[in-house]
Amino acid sequence: MGAELPVDPAALREEVKSKYREVACNPHGEFHFHTGRRAARRLGYEPAMVDRMPDAAVESFAGVANPFSLRALEAGEKVVDAGSGAGFDCFIAAQQVGPSGKVVGVDMLEEMLHKSRATARAMELPNVEFREGILEEMPVGDGWADVVISNGVINLCVDKKQAFREIWRVLRPGGRLQFADIANGKPVPASAVANIDLWTA
Amino acid sequence: MLQEIGFVDVRVGPPADTFGEASGEKKARLFEVYGYPFLARKPG
Repeated sequence: MGAELPVDPAALREEVKSKYREVACNPHGEFHFHTGRRAARRLGYEPAMVDRMPDAAVESFAGVANPFSLRALEAGEKVVDAGSGAGFDCFIAAQQVGPSGKVVGVDMLEEMLHKSRATARAMELPNVEFREGILEEMPVGDGWADVVISNGVINLCVDKKQAFREIWRVLRPGGRLQFADIANGKPVPASAVANIDLWTA
Repeated sequence: MLQEIGFVDVRVGPPADTFGEASGEKKARLFEVYGYPFLARKPG
């Protein structure tokens, strides 16, 4: 790992996979964050868009804010969701960009990819695709995206600068990054930052 | 960090009480952790 990184990126990825595998497979379990329709309601998602979605599209949602609150997507836009989980934000995006748009979700967890792909098929959304990958190295061409969205994932990357550089790479000139993430108002002690167990606690 | 990479027109929206009434609320309050929406543009 790089000398400047507080924890080993590969070890953190395994920790994140372990936590979110549970969210994918047991979405009604006990977590330290809200999930599903309750989370979407708390974060101000448009009820009409959420209500029409099947449970499988919503139940594993574990976002931290609403990436569509500062700007709605436009019809026809090409969108990448960096860290798409079970696909909730991709399915919201698909409703906003319409059939002339395209949505690509990128996630590293097999269980989430399995779930999101099955849901996209069930919702008959041929313009929504899910690809396996990590934020720091997304399987998307240079300048392909009009918009990159993300929700509660960048904070789980050790090398945030590399994650933002990668987002920059996949965005076209003039493209937009609209994401949601957590931030702390009080500093977290260095000892806690170096404790990998606390990153997902 | 966003501006360092080159993004412009960076905006931050109002905080969301992400962990309120969840089991992570106590720890979130300790460090004043909230969720925020961000918007930024790649020039061009």
